[in-house]
Amino acid sequence: MTDSAVVTVSALWAVIAGTLLCGFAVFAVTLDAGLSARAHGAGGGWFTLPSRLARLLRQRRRTTVAADTLLWRVGGIGMFIGAFLMVAVIPLGRWTLADLDVGVVWFNTIDVLVWALVWLTGWGANSTHSLVGGYRFLAHGLAYELPLMFALVAPAIAAGSLRVGAVASAQQDDVWFVVWMPVAFLIYLIGVMGFSVWGPFAAALATDIAGGAGAELSAVDRLVFHAGRYLFLAAGAAFSVPLFLGGGAGPWLPAWAWVLIKTLVVLAVLVWLRRKVPLLRPDRFMSIGWTILLPAIVVQDLVVSVVAVWKG
Amino acid sequence: MGVTEMISRLALRVVRVLIVEVPGQWLTRMELEHQMLRRGWRRALTAADADVLAVCGVSGPELTPLVDRLWQQMPGPRVRADMVSPRAVNSALDEAAILYLDTEHHKRDAQERAQEPWIPEGPVDHMDHDDHGNHAGMGHDNHEGHGGMNHDDHAGMNHNDHDEHAGMKHDEHAGVDHGEHEGHGGMDMSPGGVPLAEGGQDRDGLEMDVLHLPLGPVLPYWPAGLVLTCSIQGDVVIGSDVSIVDSGDHGNESEISHNGLRAALHCDSVMALLALAGADDLAARARRARDFLLRGDQVAASDALVRMTRAIRRSWLLRWSLRGILVLDQVDLDRYGLSVGCGGDAYDRMLRTIDRVRAEVDGRVSASEEDELVPWQVLPELVSGMELATLRLAVASVNLELCFIDKEVEHDR
Repeated sequence: MTDSAVVTVSALWAVIAGTLLCGFAVFAVTLDAGLSARAHGAGGGWFTLPSRLARLLRQRRRTTVAADTLLWRVGGIGMFIGAFLMVAVIPLGRWTLADLDVGVVWFNTIDVLVWALVWLTGWGANSTHSLVGGYRFLAHGLAYELPLMFALVAPAIAAGSLRVGAVASAQQDDVWFVVWMPVAFLIYLIGVMGFSVWGPFAAALATDIAGGAGAELSAVDRLVFHAGRYLFLAAGAAFSVPLFLGGGAGPWLPAWAWVLIKTLVVLAVLVWLRRKVPLLRPDRFMSIGWTILLPAIVVQDLVVSVVAVWKG
Repeated sequence: MGVTEMISRLALRVVRVLIVEVPGQWLTRMELEHQMLRRGWRRALTAADADVLAVCGVSGPELTPLVDRLWQQMPGPRVRADMVSPRAVNSALDEAAILYLDTEHHKRDAQERAQEPWIPEGPVDHMDHDDHGNHAGMGHDNHEGHGGMNHDDHAGMNHNDHDEHAGMKHDEHAGVDHGEHEGHGGMDMSPGGVPLAEGGQDRDGLEMDVLHLPLGPVLPYWPAGLVLTCSIQGDVVIGSDVSIVDSGDHGNESEISHNGLRAALHCDSVMALLALAGADDLAARARRARDFLLRGDQVAASDALVRMTRAIRRSWLLRWSLRGILVLDQVDLDRYGLSVGCGGDAYDRMLRTIDRVRAEVDGRVSASEEDELVPWQVLPELVSGMELATLRLAVASVNLELCFIDKEVEHDR
């Protein structure tokens, strides 16, 4: 089961992968803006992306008194780049850019990197609201990261491999992992919203601290930071497909099309959730993370392990 | 030229507006929000993200320097729009839109303004307050923030008996006000002129930096004119001082001419609470109900309110989020001289406010409002020890008495 059924394609295809990821991010931005406009009873909102880009590109960059500029910029740019590194290990049907034998761990590594990136963005501006935003993200991270790690482990145990392609092909002629690992799937989605600083997990960027870690960002710095969040959300949605949703499995359409469709659906759900679910404040979520999510996912892993051993 | 023109026209559709609400000018602010929505413009949370600085009302002597500082902090292209009354909003925004497109003007502005951020210094010109008025709401440079967390347990530390407020007075007597970093008489300065953070014991008895953060008067979903200068460790507020900007100025309050406006004002406070709790869809509903009330459309408002109430009661996550915030039991109510209507937690108070709005809309006469007001002077005692997020929800959940200020009552910690 360890030899995966995916073909590693040449690095030039990274351009296509990057474009697809950007396309998903555009979809997320547009859907969010459209839903937002509708909630406010205003029309339109569906063509907002070019306008937002134009506004931020026309804006001047600014800095603050005694800002730690290097670290501040590293945070923003890192957010932008991170998601592209994630998609390198996600197979699109039969093809993948990098068939790492530790693909799942690679994904996890990048998502842990977000801790540093958001913190640096909050720290670098030399501003109290930003700094508080950074603290909040770390507090959220403490609560969601461990459950997320255990959630990533579950499909890997079932497939007997950390290779993403192998995890996907293990579900080809079997039930999808989401069916018998629903807890892991839900916690995985929570983790995705966590490292994308999205929706209920956007406390680090919340209104009550005037934008938090992003409070002092303007122009292109704001653009890359927030684009990075959407890209992470898209990458997280895409990674759920090989992990839990059977990869390219599906009738009629080719495998790559199924991967894209499933990604879109997961992404749309995540975007929609933002408007429906209030902020989970770090102080309150901490107890949920440690007393509910963590035990639940450990039990899930145990069940998966027993089943894997029993199946041989 | 064609491309520049096209980019600025595109950008005009999503302009972000930083709203400065002069105390009492809530009608102007609501009209502004309504007009912004029609244009697709959104609220900016900070000066860093703002294209337009909209001042609702005529700012007083204390607010004016703050507005100027926010103006300095805007990245540009930047446009200032002053609107003295609800009727002036539309034309002010039209002018702002025209100026926003004027790229040549913005190029000149960019060359002429200061190229580096700086912290203004100058003599203190108002001394009747414990805190100086010039806390630029969410000003960026008011932070001596490079301490990070230092959880080393220094045995025998004596740093815990610092009194920041003694330092504050010291500053004042020196006649130099470093903008927003009072509380540091004789402390070390970083090269940028930002005072370095001082240490203090946190609630677990560990050494942690103390930062000073003024909340208000320009902060989204924050009572207009209120300034709460907090000393925080991490995001825990260990102490605060409260004041009102331009408290001497009366008479510029928007008139509450009919019941619908009063209901709209209450609806607005529910919206603020929901927005701070991050319940975006519910906040949008509250806002629509508010706008119906402002326009006097009672039927639509009533319908919107019913649906909003249903959605709020259905959301168990919202209940979970607001439960237990600023619980006021009978003992507390007696101590601060508050009415029974202020009791319970944030969730209880929100539901009561919604009931009141619905009663007002339906024409049922409700209890006299004055009973449920909370005087702003007691805020520091109410919020001490809270996390910043909880504090914001707590402040939004009470009906603050901000008008008719008794200048004699100064709150000293």
